[in-house]
Amino acid sequence: MISPVKIWRNQKKIREILNQNGNIVSFTQVFVPPQGFESQAPYVVAIVKLESGRRYTAQLVDYDKKNLRVGQKVVTVLRRTRSAGDEGIIPYGIKFKPLI
Amino acid sequence: MPVTILSGVTSKFGELWDVSPRNLVKEVALAAADEAGFALDKIEAVFVGNMLSSSLGGQDHLGAFFSEELGLSVPAVKIEAACASGGMAAHLAYLAIKSGQYKNVLVVGVEKMTDHKPEAVAAALMGAGSEGEREAGATFPALYALIARAHMLKYGTTEAAMAEVSVKNHFHASLNSHAQFTNRITRQMVMESPVVASPLKILDCSPITDGAAALILSSKPLKKGIIISASQAATDSLGLAQRLDLTTLKAAVSASNKAYQEAGVKPEDIKVAEVHDCFSIAEIIAMEDLGFFPKGEAASAIEKGKTQLGNNRLVVNTSGGLKAAGHPVGATGVKQLVEVYQQLKGISGKKQVPGADLGLTHNIGGSGATAVIHILKK
Repeated sequence: MISPVKIWRNQKKIREILNQNGNIVSFTQVFVPPQGFESQAPYVVAIVKLESGRRYTAQLVDYDKKNLRVGQKVVTVLRRTRSAGDEGIIPYGIKFKPLI
Repeated sequence: MPVTILSGVTSKFGELWDVSPRNLVKEVALAAADEAGFALDKIEAVFVGNMLSSSLGGQDHLGAFFSEELGLSVPAVKIEAACASGGMAAHLAYLAIKSGQYKNVLVVGVEKMTDHKPEAVAAALMGAGSEGEREAGATFPALYALIARAHMLKYGTTEAAMAEVSVKNHFHASLNSHAQFTNRITRQMVMESPVVASPLKILDCSPITDGAAALILSSKPLKKGIIISASQAATDSLGLAQRLDLTTLKAAVSASNKAYQEAGVKPEDIKVAEVHDCFSIAEIIAMEDLGFFPKGEAASAIEKGKTQLGNNRLVVNTSGGLKAAGHPVGATGVKQLVEVYQQLKGISGKKQVPGADLGLTHNIGGSGATAVIHILKK
């Protein structure tokens, strides 16, 4: 499912969203993951409204339980998103980190 | 020219390891032709509702695949609109008859899901979501969990109220011999079941299911026939993040408004409805989007049993819904139409809604990116 070409193409877009602040609009803790995410479960997926006004769905990382609330301030960071496929290329993408 | 439903058939839904998609489609297509009172060679076109044949089964070209199985050489095509594939196939079949090109068309919805491991099915289903959602490791339970939390926050909807949707639908399914789950459950069982994506627990979620359903639509008018008095669809953003309000599915509101207008009826006229309860929260939102209850009031209405068998105003998901009858994704939209068709014909047995003369189906693709609404009239 992971195409190196697709990763290369999409990575150009990631920098536009990096290091932006925002607030959690909604979140869920995923206990039953899809293929490629088994090693990360359970993990939190959140929709965040960025200061630019854009809304984005990504995982929340480096969080405490107290950060799991609607309205929590977060910042976008670059992280590995899923397990590398047969090509061995590690896919990176956007995740959120709480701002205390 | 009204479009008449000549017949409607649903296969057994469940974990059907001993049958193939070919078996399933042949079974329902032959039974539908039999019920319509003619042989399959009267069929002039075949519309197949299916989502995952390619990503899970490795089989494309489903139109020809099934027409070969049915011994036909007429136009046949797969319609894919995620979990709304079945409803969309019926919508296009309806338009095909309206066009005057065909007199009798076969609509088949089919999905074979349990041949594959759950992680693979969950990943394949995410084909219905956005690229960003896939990158986040979201699943469909996760997307509806995001919706549920927003609804809880805005309207005070509780997990206990959501649980009542599953309790009701399992009760209805206990009267449906074709359902995947015929066991009755309690609110406590739902509340104590394992969390899939918080706040949704496994008994808030529809299962992975094999199954098929078929309808024969016709331009031929019948005395006392069941007609499709509206068939409408709409789309919205693929991803949830692009939506300003997570507590409503805009496509469902838009398609149902158009459908009420086409049929010349109001929400309060509907006696029986099959709605897309892929998750318990989805049925609550469907009730509000369809205009059956004001925004924020559906959860308590469902909790009070206002949509359960036995009340005279409106009964929802007599089949057991996706939750308990099962959710073979491409078949679901067709099954919903078969269920309402049988209700209007008065042949639903123990789950019959007395005096059902107007029914609605609400079929959703993805997390609300596609909505297909049908209104059926006696």
